[in-house]
Amino acid sequence: MSFWRAVGLNYIQFSNIAAKMVRRSLKKEFQVEALKRDESSVKFTTWKEGKPEKISSKA
Amino acid sequence: MWAHNAMLQPIIRHQQSRGMATLKAISIRLKSVKNIQKITQSMKMVSAAKYARAERELRQAKPYGEGSTVFYEKIKPEEKQESTPSGQKLLVAVTSDRGLCGAVHTTVARQIRNELNEAGDNVKVICIGDKSRAILQRLYGKNIVLVCNEVGRKPPTFLDAARIAEQISQYEFSSGKIVYNRFKSVVSYVTSELPLYHKDTVSTSPNITAYDSLDDSVVQSYLEFSLASMLFYTLKEGACSEQSSRMTAMDNASKNAGEMIDKLTLTFNRTRQAVITRELIEIISGASAL
Repeated sequence: MSFWRAVGLNYIQFSNIAAKMVRRSLKKEFQVEALKRDESSVKFTTWKEGKPEKISSKA
Repeated sequence: MWAHNAMLQPIIRHQQSRGMATLKAISIRLKSVKNIQKITQSMKMVSAAKYARAERELRQAKPYGEGSTVFYEKIKPEEKQESTPSGQKLLVAVTSDRGLCGAVHTTVARQIRNELNEAGDNVKVICIGDKSRAILQRLYGKNIVLVCNEVGRKPPTFLDAARIAEQISQYEFSSGKIVYNRFKSVVSYVTSELPLYHKDTVSTSPNITAYDSLDDSVVQSYLEFSLASMLFYTLKEGACSEQSSRMTAMDNASKNAGEMIDKLTLTFNRTRQAVITRELIEIISGASAL
């Protein structure tokens, strides 16, 4: 078992953190472009019995 | 003769006032249709620019989807409905929040609806984008477990896909499908689906031995990654078909508005001419009656 799974992360979370680190350590001229790919605006709403339950925004 | 004229007069006045009114009504209508045409034209321009970008990004995102599709084709997992206790099916509808783009959202929703009609209650639906939610919520609201919105305003990023994948992986399912629009060309798209499998189905599939040194954690990690990358790919495909479809839809709308403008201008000119002629007749007949 890898160390990050032992902490409770899954592979996507692990690789996203790694990607974030790589983006942050880029040179300035590449960083601006790369940081644009580090955005996410999706919002989630869980539904139960045909009704929206609660709004859980950015995780 | 006078009596006859007196009898006619109110009718004529009525007609005349109505003629004036239609003239005004037509000109108002003409103006509004012209405005609509302006709007649809500029929407077409905007979506053309967005489409160009979406297509460029789609080309880069294609390997993500192809990689995982080929993996599933190679290992040929066998769907066993009874093997997992829950036996749940999961359907993911990839649409967006924005409308005015032809039938892209409706075809995805229709495919999901057919699936729901066949399979019944043991199906969970995850709606990506408000449009699929709006279509499905009235009849199949009980099947919806998760809605993602704010999709489609900006081009989808991998982080979006990763976060959606994370939310999806919270739900137990034995098999599933991602329903999305696959972009074919500027004028066409196909509603297609990508399969989702449970981890056990993958690790017990007959051809898994084709891959070397796979243990449980590798398979799990790969499934997590492939879910995110397939979502990323389908989001890109969906965005691209949506923009191209909006482009054609807005082009058609502008064309139709143009036709309407032509017809309205014709009737407007005719009515105006009729009003002028009638007034002239009235003046002349009035002068001759003196």
